[in-house]
Amino acid sequence: MGVQEFRLPDVGEGLTEAEIVAWHVAPGDTVKVNDPIVDIETAKSVVELPCPFAGVVERLLVDAGATVPVGTPIITVTVATDDEPDRDHARPGGADQEERGDHAPPGRADQDVARDHAPPARQEVLVGYGPRSGVGLRSRRRAPAPAPRPEPAAPPARRSEQPGSSRPLATPPVRKLAKDRGIDLREVTPTGAGGVVTRADVEAFTAAPEPQAPAAREAGDTRIPVKGVRKATAEAMVASAFTAPHVTLWLTVDVTRSVKLLRRLKADPELTGLSVSPLLLASRAVVLALRRHPYLNARWDGDAGEIVQLGAVHLGIAVATSRGLLVPSLKDADRLTSLVDLARGLTGLAATAREGRATPRDLSGGTFTITNVGVFGVDGGTPILNPGEAGILGLGQVRQRPWVHRGEVRPRWVTELTLSIDHRVVDGEQGGRFLADVGAVLERPERLLTWG
Amino acid sequence: MSYPPHPEVPGGSPPEPEPVQLLRPDGTTVEHPQYAPETDPAVLRSWYRDLVLVRRIDTEATALQRQGQLGLWAPCLGQEAAQVGSGRALAPQDHAFPTYREHGVAWCRGVDPVDLLRIWRGTTLGGWDPARRGLHLYTIVIGTQVLHAAGYAMGVQRDGAVGTGDPGRDTAVIAYFGDGASSQGDVSEAFTYASVFNAPVVFFCQNNQLAISEPNERQTRVPLYQRARGFGFPGLRVDGNDILAVHAVTRAALDRARAGEGPMMIEAFTYRMGAHTTSDDPTRYRQAAEVDAWRPRDPITRFATHLRSTGAADDAFLAEVDAAADELAARVRAGCLAMPDPAGTAMFDHVYAEPHPMVAAERAWHEDWERSLEPAGGER
Amino acid sequence: MAKVTLAAAVNAGLRRAMDADPKVLVMGEDVGQLGGVFRVTDGLRKDFGDDRVIDTPLAESGIVGSAIGLALRGYRPVCEIQFDGFVFPAFNQIVSQLSRLAYRSEGRLRMPVVLRIPYGGGIGAVEHHSESPEAYFAHTPGLRVVTCAGPADGYWMIQQAIASDDPVLFFEPKRRYWDKAEVDTATSLADAPAGSVEPLHAARVVRPGTDVTVVAYGPTVRVALDAAELAAQEGRSLEVVDLRSLAPLDEGTVTASVRRTGRCVVVHEAPTFLGLGAEIAARVTESCFHHLEAPVLRVGGYDVPYPASRLEEAYLPDHDRVLEAVDRAFTFGGAY
Repeated sequence: MGVQEFRLPDVGEGLTEAEIVAWHVAPGDTVKVNDPIVDIETAKSVVELPCPFAGVVERLLVDAGATVPVGTPIITVTVATDDEPDRDHARPGGADQEERGDHAPPGRADQDVARDHAPPARQEVLVGYGPRSGVGLRSRRRAPAPAPRPEPAAPPARRSEQPGSSRPLATPPVRKLAKDRGIDLREVTPTGAGGVVTRADVEAFTAAPEPQAPAAREAGDTRIPVKGVRKATAEAMVASAFTAPHVTLWLTVDVTRSVKLLRRLKADPELTGLSVSPLLLASRAVVLALRRHPYLNARWDGDAGEIVQLGAVHLGIAVATSRGLLVPSLKDADRLTSLVDLARGLTGLAATAREGRATPRDLSGGTFTITNVGVFGVDGGTPILNPGEAGILGLGQVRQRPWVHRGEVRPRWVTELTLSIDHRVVDGEQGGRFLADVGAVLERPERLLTWG
Repeated sequence: MSYPPHPEVPGGSPPEPEPVQLLRPDGTTVEHPQYAPETDPAVLRSWYRDLVLVRRIDTEATALQRQGQLGLWAPCLGQEAAQVGSGRALAPQDHAFPTYREHGVAWCRGVDPVDLLRIWRGTTLGGWDPARRGLHLYTIVIGTQVLHAAGYAMGVQRDGAVGTGDPGRDTAVIAYFGDGASSQGDVSEAFTYASVFNAPVVFFCQNNQLAISEPNERQTRVPLYQRARGFGFPGLRVDGNDILAVHAVTRAALDRARAGEGPMMIEAFTYRMGAHTTSDDPTRYRQAAEVDAWRPRDPITRFATHLRSTGAADDAFLAEVDAAADELAARVRAGCLAMPDPAGTAMFDHVYAEPHPMVAAERAWHEDWERSLEPAGGER
Repeated sequence: MAKVTLAAAVNAGLRRAMDADPKVLVMGEDVGQLGGVFRVTDGLRKDFGDDRVIDTPLAESGIVGSAIGLALRGYRPVCEIQFDGFVFPAFNQIVSQLSRLAYRSEGRLRMPVVLRIPYGGGIGAVEHHSESPEAYFAHTPGLRVVTCAGPADGYWMIQQAIASDDPVLFFEPKRRYWDKAEVDTATSLADAPAGSVEPLHAARVVRPGTDVTVVAYGPTVRVALDAAELAAQEGRSLEVVDLRSLAPLDEGTVTASVRRTGRCVVVHEAPTFLGLGAEIAARVTESCFHHLEAPVLRVGGYDVPYPASRLEEAYLPDHDRVLEAVDRAFTFGGAY
């Protein structure tokens, strides 16, 4: 038992709508399969529609005189028996495309019919389902496109250059470029897929010094082999800089209160022997701000198409060592509830790194980094993210500058904070708010307590 | 039908012989000097059953189209006797070449009515195995199959399957076409080939008076069966709604061809009670009166009368046949609704009998393409 | 091996095929008693009888339509359309029926029909006797279209075409009918050692070269070879590829050649607009894009109906027009 709907079919004249001329049944009438139930008027003629169901008419859904699109339900029938064949299919083709009010021809695979796009109108209306109206939407691709056309079997030449072959591969515009510059493409090293010489290759060839000649040694030049930490740093910086879109935000902060607090903290016996510096308070401020803005403590997972907000804060501190720049990270910095623990952690971290005892675990797994360029006597810069992280905070030098304080220009201890963010993960507003919070804590360190 | 004056007969048309008839519209029989009717009651009952079931298939298919389950249907309403009468005259080894309206012939050749619906539903362009059924696939391009029939008959000759006297071996071919098709050059060429090679083919023209909207006057100035004379073989007209006469003349023509006496043309004079197809609106070119004039000449009504009056069938039998028709209609409906859509890659099958690199490459591309697209959302 | 003409080579191939399979029939206008207007079917009626070598009525649609009927009955008809320009009445039967019956019947029916069609110009004929209609049929799915350029291919390819279960249009360049070459007509296709006969749908490099790939088929293969000979005297090395099969195309051979040379010129008698050259140009450009020093150039007939015979020489692409295209292929720049 159940109620079946009959939707206005396309009766084969390419019709997109029809007028209900006259009903032959009323609610409550018993109907057999093929009983005439309604006359519809198409562009060409009046057509009688036979009932597809056997049962009792439940409702007439459209009034006589109304014009409705193909696919509109026009009548419901309570079906008498359960052996109505294949109930789900007992609807005209027009029902499949209700969004378009249009009619899908059979002969398309199931997944095709669900698709919205339609080829243009087909045959004359006299001989089939008739044309489709409307364009529909373009189907979305879920995977990289297949090759536009399979390569024909090409014996023996393969797509990439054979070694020793004299035929350089390049697109016509690149050939022209080479010709205009008087370059023989055979001499250019190709970097395109399949050994194709790209435009960039030709440009580089033009700009580069003689490739084969050994680098001329000018007196006074010093050549430093790139290896070890420097090599790793170089690679990491390139990977980071050219993968993550960097945006840097600035904030200048009056940190006089923090400076005064640090003076008092230095005198605290519990912090004897530990590093008590703006970096300590900045670290605390960052951890706090990360709790308030967890999206800065995140990672871009392109493969999964996800941004991962990390549960723990492993705070990286950029440390200048004799071997180069290292960024060891203090694990679970957010769990270090006391400033003393934080100070101890940071001090130990820096010492380990400088002494060359940092383990791979120390040097990896960071979730956010602070780089203290202030110790070099500069105010800030555009720091490059530690690869995999979404934010890095540059801490500038703390020095006195004229500042407006309570309406008057007074010398205050001022510092600049520069925050670079991975704009895939964090947007400007989010970065700004985070930076503002860090600044706010350093401006009024009591916020460590009120926000803590 | 009136004709302009025949050029050879000043002032008038040549005398037209009466169409061959054995069963009048009122159900009474009439004798013919050359043709005798079938009288076996069991055979007659089976023919009645054929007529009713064929009409019922046709009606059901028309309804299915109106319900959006078929894209199109070409009804054979009114032509059942012409098709069943000739269809039942065929021997098992004979081969028939239909147009696209010979649902009664297909029935006689054993084509499952659900298979008949496949091209109209659009799941295939064919629908059955021609070699097994002895029935070529429906041909949409008008008249082309008549040449195929002539060629097939030439093949039968080369197989030595003509005039051996062995009724199980001697083979005849029948080519169906309409009054409109008779104008096609291919039909004339088929007449030429069949006649000059004396091929064993019967040309069966169902003159249902209309080629969509165009009446006979647009196709010919002489009765169609007279065309045969121009090509040198006999032709006759038969009352197409008289199953007894249709069967008799077709049987004789087929036997004649089988015996090696060459082609013959039969013009079955009938009427297309329905529209050309379900997309056609006949009210634009014919009056209801014209259709009504043919109702008393209905092939099934007169035959029922004949069966009753000869005692070959009683009301119980007629009711039984009606019930069988209902059952068949339900089965056809269910079969139609359950027809699976072919897979997308089916369009690449059987373009060639032998492997083809371009088709293979395009099939592979299409498979990748389909896999790369997200479903539009929602399941069927 | 003796030297035979193309006409005689096809004749010999037909004979071999008819010997091998009693279902093979030859049919067409004047093919029996006369032996064909080009004598390609000479002597076959005498040896195989008029049941197997049929003089048909003058009705091309009838030739193809009845051939379809014969194929349905299990025969393998080899039809002759007397001249290229007379294939058009049969166009409907070819494109609506012959090409589609396998497809329509979902593989149950096969159309092992060959249509032999003499084509092309250069014989000083009257209208309709010099056409190149191959593109209409190459464009029709379900048909195979091949063409021989010389006697050896004529002999082997006609047997291969007859052996195919698909409908094959076999275009014979009528102006080459009297060209002679050595052909082993004593060996039938079935008896040829494995691998000794080129596959029906393979293209062939008929003259290796390094500077330009010239793709030709049928009557223009000779033209391309002549051009290559002259080019060699001017210091240019042309590689000539005889396409042999128009549908399907042997892209692999052409691609491999163009990747070696970097330049491609296609030559055919058919009008340039929408001719086979356009398809080859599109495919070569796609598969050899980075190898190309110049666009693929086409040399074809002008886009006018085939003219009166006194204008024929001016119309047909000759070695000069081929060499002009070759020269032009070097004006586009490139690597050197």
